[in-house]
Amino acid sequence: MDINLEHVGTRLTVTVAGRLNTGTAPEFEEKLIPALKGVEELIIDFADLDYISSAGLRIVLTSQKIMNRQGTMVIRNVKPEIYEVFEMTGFVDFLTIQ
Amino acid sequence: MELSTVFQFAAATLLPVAAAMGLYVAEHRTEFGTLPYMVRQVIIGLLFGGIAILGTEFGIQTTDATMNVRDASPLVAGLLFGGPAGIIAGVVGGVERWLAALWGRGMFTRVACSVATIAAGLYAALLRKRMFDNKLPSWSLAFAIGVVVEVLHLTLVFVTNMDNIPRAFTVVRACAPIMIPCNALSVALATLAVAILAKIKLHKAPPDRELSNSIQAGMLIAVVVGLVVTTMFTAMIQNNISELQTESLLKLNIEDVSADVDDALNEKLLNDTRKVARYINSVERAKTLKMDEVAQQFDVTEINVIDKTGTIVASTYDRFIGFDMASGAQSKEFLVLLNEDKKEFVQSYRNISYSDAEQRKYAGVVIDGGFVQVGYDAVDFQKAISEEVPEAVRNRHVGESGGLVIADATGIVYGSQNDAGTETLRQTGLADALNTAHPGEVFVATYYDTPVVAMYQLAEGYRIIAFQPVEEAQFSRNVAVLVTEFMEIIVFAALFTVIYFLVKRVVVDNIHRVNRVLGTITAGNLDASVEVRSNEEFSSLSDDINTMVDALKRAIAEAAARIDAELEYARTIQSGALPRPMEPNPQRDGFSIFAQMDAAKEVGGDFYDYYFLDDNHFAFLVADVSGKGIPAAMFMMKAKTLIQSLAETWLPVDEIFTRANNQLCEGNEAEMFVTAWMGVVELDTGHVVYANAGHNPPVVGTERGDFEYRKARPNLVLGGMAGIPYRIYEMDLKPGDIIFLYTDGVTEATNAQNELFGDDRLVESLNRHSKMAMEDLCNAVHKDVDDFVGEAPQFDDITVLALRFEGRK
Repeated sequence: MDINLEHVGTRLTVTVAGRLNTGTAPEFEEKLIPALKGVEELIIDFADLDYISSAGLRIVLTSQKIMNRQGTMVIRNVKPEIYEVFEMTGFVDFLTIQ
Repeated sequence: MELSTVFQFAAATLLPVAAAMGLYVAEHRTEFGTLPYMVRQVIIGLLFGGIAILGTEFGIQTTDATMNVRDASPLVAGLLFGGPAGIIAGVVGGVERWLAALWGRGMFTRVACSVATIAAGLYAALLRKRMFDNKLPSWSLAFAIGVVVEVLHLTLVFVTNMDNIPRAFTVVRACAPIMIPCNALSVALATLAVAILAKIKLHKAPPDRELSNSIQAGMLIAVVVGLVVTTMFTAMIQNNISELQTESLLKLNIEDVSADVDDALNEKLLNDTRKVARYINSVERAKTLKMDEVAQQFDVTEINVIDKTGTIVASTYDRFIGFDMASGAQSKEFLVLLNEDKKEFVQSYRNISYSDAEQRKYAGVVIDGGFVQVGYDAVDFQKAISEEVPEAVRNRHVGESGGLVIADATGIVYGSQNDAGTETLRQTGLADALNTAHPGEVFVATYYDTPVVAMYQLAEGYRIIAFQPVEEAQFSRNVAVLVTEFMEIIVFAALFTVIYFLVKRVVVDNIHRVNRVLGTITAGNLDASVEVRSNEEFSSLSDDINTMVDALKRAIAEAAARIDAELEYARTIQSGALPRPMEPNPQRDGFSIFAQMDAAKEVGGDFYDYYFLDDNHFAFLVADVSGKGIPAAMFMMKAKTLIQSLAETWLPVDEIFTRANNQLCEGNEAEMFVTAWMGVVELDTGHVVYANAGHNPPVVGTERGDFEYRKARPNLVLGGMAGIPYRIYEMDLKPGDIIFLYTDGVTEATNAQNELFGDDRLVESLNRHSKMAMEDLCNAVHKDVDDFVGEAPQFDDITVLALRFEGRK
């Protein structure tokens, strides 16, 4: 799994590639959550994300909750199979997916 | 040095380098490398022995010595290719050098050269085995080794020629500036070349430096500093000693010559006086003689005759007659002759008592009734000196090739080794330095273009100058400094080697052994033990490590046992919380049901539940908590209890989920959530109301094998976000319909090819087993999943629930 964080002012763009499962989720969480401090616009790019498990969903949920308090969060370029997961788990209701 | 000689040296230096490169390539890239080790060693040894012989036979002749680059060959063979090769090359080169004396090679350094070449091979072999562990040394260390061996070689030239140190010194002084750098450079370049061929990184980054390398570098610096300091001290002390020696040598010679000249002058004047005395014979007779005539007869300037009272009674100078000898300090000295015991007296050239303006040298000899005094005036004195001095100086040497010069105040040289007489100080080149120097002090000058150290003393109207060529004066110092320096290099090299061996054997090797065992321990082998017992410290370290590992092993075993026990309890509690398999009477109750949860770990995050709400309403659900293990199991218990207690208050399913969600969100610090699908079936009609909190859609079908997903847009998982409403959905089951609920452990079960079991395989599996009873159906689907997964490890819980609606008859 590759994680890349890019700060521009108060905007943070995060790209995640590979599989976000029980094994890789802790690393993603350790990198992403501390980086959210002071961020007002969070963009998560899932263009190269192949799989997301409930452990990955948990981090998306946590960051959405944090961003609800301090700004906006947008998820971009979601592959159909990932979108299906968001749909099935009801995440589509409260995530902004573009 | 001529250009052709430079080329010759360059060729001799580079030959072993070229040979090393060629042999390295041959050993690693050709079939030569497949020969047995000893065969290769012998071939390499003989080859380098041959190069050593070339070094001997094509030595480079200079005026003082024959030089050659011979010792580099056995060093290169031994250091870069192996001990046996080094020893063979050394013996071949050394023995040939010994025999070569028979056909005209230098006899003088025969022993030193032969021994040094053999020693070079042995030394290289020893270092390769003990210091470098058969690895390449760094080029700087290789250079240092080359220097040490050449220094040993040149020191041996001294040791084997103790009876001819000057010649040994000449040879060594000529050879050292060429042979030491050439041999050392040859070894260093060969090492560098082979290292490049082997693509070894020559400069490691500092953090990667091995302990032994740090010790090597540290000791090398200490040794070099020690060498420089002691060399400076030795040079300083030897310089002082040599200056003192030179000073006393010059002084001694001046004193000797001065005494010789004095003796000769005294003797000459005495002789004249004696002749005059014999002629005059007595004071009485003197009175009858004309002293002018006597003086003329004996070719002297002045004659005085003194009677018993010490008064001059006759003289060549009338004005002296009647002078009382006791009246002046100079003249009074002669009165000793009036005593019985002394017959002759000579005085140095000085001012006379009669007149301060005049200078004379007198001698006196006793005659009857008094004594006769004969005197030289300035002219006589100079004449006498010029006659006597050359003899006193001619055969005198200061040291080996120094000499003496005697000159008068005007710079005319009276005597020197050159037998001159017409020579002047200006011609000798001493004049300028003499003018600024003080008597009795050492000064530097040139004597006919040779740099000399010199000293002068003023004697009676003349100067005696002693000198010695600088080179000769500093010979002993130079020899002492050179030999001391050589010995120091050898001693420091020996110290370096011994300390390095000791540190390596006592510390570094042991640390490596400890590290190797620690490596296997950290890799998971807790049964490994450290057994380094070569000294007390490491023995105690080994014991400590072993004790620690044992303690760790026990602690791990205890912890594992405790966790196992606790997990077993948790598992029992969890499975106890799930409903017992119920055996509903399909005719009476209108349905049959079976469910099972197979946790991937001891406890799981999945659960299912079912219960009657009243006679006609039956609730059933399947849920999946995010995460695994104890935390998931605890969250699962909370969710299950909450849902059941809400269900028993007769709330509709959407309201159950809405409230359960709000309560699960409260204090959910761990950010866990649970997906759930819950339905309530009205047993009279088959009408089902259900809600879906982010869970997989159920599959519905009949025993005809027509299963398909019953999708309805799910709401968000429970525990995700408080305050959101849940939707309620409805469907109708006809008698014979089967509704199958599952968790993603089924659809996302993964095989070794990383393929998911997937939605389609599930439908296909259900269709295939659709005629089975619910328990068998669940087991069959589970088995299909297991077969699909094969040996691939499973990380997720697998939960299935199957309900077949029959309708109450």
